[in-house]
Amino acid sequence: MPDTALLHVENLTASVEEKTILHQVNLDVPAGETHVLMGPNGAGKSTLGHLVMGDPVYTVNDGRIFFDGEDVTDLTTDKRSRAGLFLSFQAPVEIPGVPLSSFLRASIAGRPGLEMKGKEFRRRVKELAAELDMDTAYLNRELGVGFSGGEKKKVEMLQLLLLQPKLAILDETDSGLDVDALSVVSRGMDAYRKSCNGSMLIITHNTRILEHLSVDRVHVMVKGHVVRTDDASLIPWIDENGFESFEREAANAAANAQ
Amino acid sequence: MKIENLNAMPAPTWSWLKMNSTSLEIDPELAPAGAAAVEVEGADACRGNDGDFEAALKLADSRFPARRAAAPGDASDRERVDAGNLDQLDVPALSTYQTQAVHLEEKCGPAESFSHGCGSETANYLRSVAQMPVVLKLAPYQKECVTVRINGVDGAISAADIQVIAGEHAELDFIVALDSPVIGTGLVGSLLSVVAAEQARVNVTCVQTLDDSWTALDASGFFLDEGARVHVQHTVLGAGKSVTGLASELWGDTSKISVDTDYLAARDQSRDFNYSIRQLGRKTESNMDANGVLTGASKKVLRGTIDLVHGCRGSEGTERESVLLANKGVDNKTVPVILCDEDDVAGNHGATIGHVRDEQLFYMACRGISAEEAEQLFITAKLENAAITAPDERIRAGIVRLGNKLVSNFEEEIA
Repeated sequence: MPDTALLHVENLTASVEEKTILHQVNLDVPAGETHVLMGPNGAGKSTLGHLVMGDPVYTVNDGRIFFDGEDVTDLTTDKRSRAGLFLSFQAPVEIPGVPLSSFLRASIAGRPGLEMKGKEFRRRVKELAAELDMDTAYLNRELGVGFSGGEKKKVEMLQLLLLQPKLAILDETDSGLDVDALSVVSRGMDAYRKSCNGSMLIITHNTRILEHLSVDRVHVMVKGHVVRTDDASLIPWIDENGFESFEREAANAAANAQ
Repeated sequence: MKIENLNAMPAPTWSWLKMNSTSLEIDPELAPAGAAAVEVEGADACRGNDGDFEAALKLADSRFPARRAAAPGDASDRERVDAGNLDQLDVPALSTYQTQAVHLEEKCGPAESFSHGCGSETANYLRSVAQMPVVLKLAPYQKECVTVRINGVDGAISAADIQVIAGEHAELDFIVALDSPVIGTGLVGSLLSVVAAEQARVNVTCVQTLDDSWTALDASGFFLDEGARVHVQHTVLGAGKSVTGLASELWGDTSKISVDTDYLAARDQSRDFNYSIRQLGRKTESNMDANGVLTGASKKVLRGTIDLVHGCRGSEGTERESVLLANKGVDNKTVPVILCDEDDVAGNHGATIGHVRDEQLFYMACRGISAEEAEQLFITAKLENAAITAPDERIRAGIVRLGNKLVSNFEEEIA
């Protein structure tokens, strides 16, 4: 694996219910860089994010996942999180019965350098909530229950800033957000990068969220394959032309392979 | 000794389900702790006398005599059978429950039908061990806040027999705390009887924070006159075994009761609830809402019965339960029952019973929380919420004591 890569995905083939959905995917995200994973709906972008995080729904058939120099392929999800991986959900789940503040406290418990005592914890969380224009009343509400789509995404950003992971995989964090919420999310991403020189893998299929970000590399996925990796100049090109040519190339490649 | 048929639901279901009632073994060595175990605060201006409660129910009897419109199997039918004008076989056969229900409606006024949900044997037992009742009598329009604390005494039965008469338009905020501030074993019990006169408002908050070595026995009964409003909050957080019974009779038109229950059961604790609300007056409303978390190898039975009695036109009753099963080893039983002998009524029930879903576990794991830690989180979250909403500092201290046994710095975390 390359010395510089914080995340190194090597020939990853994965399936769900015996159907192969990722095919020999290779992807590197060096420390401190911002990468974007783009592609049409159903390309396997979210699946890759979930696989990196160790979602037990998927089966790794071949290949390895390395993170921060360690092979994490067989590590449980909670251990990957504690190793510094973070996945922001496209549709964050609701957890009735658990107030957001209790959940946040549990998420930092036992993490060296992050664990905080009661008052310090509350001060820090309120500070972050203010940064994200988030009403602190949400902290005492059950996680996600009755939250709007925008509030749920703010909670994801709040966790990102609190946990300061080494790599944040942001899965369609921009989907379904209005302009104001989008600006808050952008601010959160920016604050995360500045606060801990964090690395990001942003999964998206539209380019709006990327306007205010300095992107290092762009990966394009089609039908479970990474079909192109390039610099940030690919973003305006995709904005202009969409994914059609990539899909065509992938179809041709598949036909030739047969 | 053993109390059988405790917390029996009014209309039993299949016996093999083993949920019609429970039983309670009480160590015969336990002696009544007496008045030392019971503290009463804020009652100086509303102390009543022994016998006031019975007098209030007798008065209610005169306002609400036994009544029953004709229906199959009723008195009118039986009179015709007795007179030879109707054959026995022409009268519908009634089940044991139906026979009792008809008897209750035909023969019983508020005094005789008054109950506590736990059964008369248990109520008599609690009365006997409590010795002297605590009687609170609020004059019309009087407003009071009263707290009764029943503290576990090691090797004893600590119990209070509390009788409340809230006069017309009176308002009472009443707190009952069942706690075990000392290490030991024993039983902590409460028998609460309430008469809410016309337009009276009674809010009852009962918080139980006993350690695992204690047993809780909590029973309450309510009579509601016209326009009376009663709200009951049961917060059941501790005790190796807890038994909670509640019976309410809405005799007065437009009277309303709401019962909110928050419960937690962990390890091998057991929780047994029996709620029974009879709606007799017109346009009455009842609402039962239970919310619980079960973890470890705990057990819970919740029986909720709403009885919409003949003549309660325009009434509505609703019962809901939401329970989270945070471990596959738990045993959860819920029996929502709506009994109805009236056309113009609405009865609603629903239960949401769920294990923690895989996607919830994955989400928590993505934040570094393992399945075991997630289970712990559900418990501490429940305790934390109870601590935040605790009615006073001493009750909060009891909740914190339970929390500290689970989380090393629980108190500091919620400070």
